[in-house]
Amino acid sequence: MPYSNEDIGKLVESTKIHRDVYTKEEIFELEMERIWSKAWIFIGHDSQVPNRGDYYATNITHKIPVVMTRDQKGEVNVLHNRCAHKGAKLVDTRCGNARAFTCCYHGWCFNTDGTLLKIPNEKGYDNTGFDIKDPKNNIQKVAQSENYRGFVFATLDPDAPDLKTWMGGALDVFDNLCDRAPEGEVEAAGGVLRYEHDCNWKLFLENLNDTMHPMVTHQSVVQAAKDYISTLPAEAASQRAEAEIIPPFGASFEVFENTEITGFKYGHHYDGGKSSIHADYSVLPAYNDAMVAAYGEERTREIFSFNTHNTLYYPSVTIKSAVQNIRVVRPLAVNKCIVETWSFRLKGAPDEILQRTLLYSRLINSSASMVGPDDLEAYMRIQSGLESNGDDWVDMARQFGRDKDQGDRTVGGGTSDLDVRTQYTAWRNYMTDAYGTVEER
Amino acid sequence: MTDIKNIERYLYDEADLLDNPDLDSWIKLYSEDGTYWMPVTEDQKDPLNHVSILYDDRVMMEVRRRNFVHPRAASKDHKVRSSHIISNVRIIGNNDKGDLVVTSNFQALVFYRNEQRAFGGKYEHHLISEGDSYKIRHKKVTLINCDAPQKTLTVYL
Repeated sequence: MPYSNEDIGKLVESTKIHRDVYTKEEIFELEMERIWSKAWIFIGHDSQVPNRGDYYATNITHKIPVVMTRDQKGEVNVLHNRCAHKGAKLVDTRCGNARAFTCCYHGWCFNTDGTLLKIPNEKGYDNTGFDIKDPKNNIQKVAQSENYRGFVFATLDPDAPDLKTWMGGALDVFDNLCDRAPEGEVEAAGGVLRYEHDCNWKLFLENLNDTMHPMVTHQSVVQAAKDYISTLPAEAASQRAEAEIIPPFGASFEVFENTEITGFKYGHHYDGGKSSIHADYSVLPAYNDAMVAAYGEERTREIFSFNTHNTLYYPSVTIKSAVQNIRVVRPLAVNKCIVETWSFRLKGAPDEILQRTLLYSRLINSSASMVGPDDLEAYMRIQSGLESNGDDWVDMARQFGRDKDQGDRTVGGGTSDLDVRTQYTAWRNYMTDAYGTVEER
Repeated sequence: MTDIKNIERYLYDEADLLDNPDLDSWIKLYSEDGTYWMPVTEDQKDPLNHVSILYDDRVMMEVRRRNFVHPRAASKDHKVRSSHIISNVRIIGNNDKGDLVVTSNFQALVFYRNEQRAFGGKYEHHLISEGDSYKIRHKKVTLINCDAPQKTLTVYL
């Protein structure tokens, strides 16, 4: 039975979510059409394709491969990774450099901006109406792509609002990430970690600003780190970045409550602002000096004091501006997704800053870390628990009714479920085609 | 002339400690400045300026050992069993620290969360000679699928 919009609307209530949202393949396929093919999806950073002819291949949905290219004019494009002739995937390596893309089957050859360059034995098309200059013979560009301070997003929806409008107030965190560079720019650096998650993609997103879980889920690593690091001589302990990174995961409910959660239209939200679990990281003097030289003392303080935990640009990317890493979600099936962790260099900052970012990515987000696997364990247990019809509903009621409407944003307590409610308002609007017809947040 | 039989026996003993598992004894094989590295690309030069799947020094090994047995580490609720096979052991020579560099191929079956998984790749050990035996200054584990998406890994390989 296909789901009607009315059926879908009933799956999300103001304080609860029906378990079908996580377990039904039909819902997953509808999500790929109605959310992932409508929203702006993060593709990559333009520093991944620094030179003309560079390309980077990824996916918008499990069925829609795309390739980001730097063409011969130096422009960045997002193209459907599909030959215009018989549909073969053109690029089947992750990244590289090409003068042109030649299809492995009949040798159709395309420029890196997607335009058709030549085809073998073209005379076979004489008098068939074929025109090599006809744009329909090009590799097709996605409906819209935009580059915000190096971060390239694409949408398959020609009617989607422009990227900045779509991001709304959550844009501040992308600005903060880039502003933390003395040169005002960041670049992808130090590689990527890819972590296979045997769970629905939304479980990962719901955890980002779930501040009621760290002291439970991560208590083991916090205690192990504190116990052992406390046995080290004080000087040795103080030199370990791990001693700054791990313990805040055990912060109290009160600390998290005070961070506040801020939600925006289209499902975006962040935890923190004035403070976060990343707020007490030491600032390397040489980095501080470079920032002050670039921005002045006051602006530098302002940049450092805007301190968020995770900021989700629903549904595909979450960033940590204070850490300078991001995680990208690529759904594969109703119960499977890949989470990529990318780290960024602050241009003009000392090398140690990138090293701390990479340490964080490895220590917290790696498949062999002592933090990410305990999160994933919880998601997998939810995924398997929700297969049971023992109860149909998942709760998101914490502090319901206390969220404060501030116009373009909604602000709630740091341990509230405002983050989840924000996501599911967007989920329901996308899934029932409510965006574009009513202004609803 | 280093006897390759001694080296092989040492590598087998190390693998045995991982398979038992006896992390307490395994960590003691490492020198005070010892490190364990699992890079995420085949030709990764550096564990600090590039992200890795795993890079632990003795301090982080100790933290991990405590975490392994912590009753509230949910991902460790599932007992892990592993079985290592090591072969093609080769002595490469001494590096600039004077450590003996030994490479080998390994395969490890790991049973975790009701699933059997196969890992394989190349080991590189940097060994400090100590009496009849060795200390490990550095162990590098390059998985043949190091740059593929990985599932949770809760043990050293």
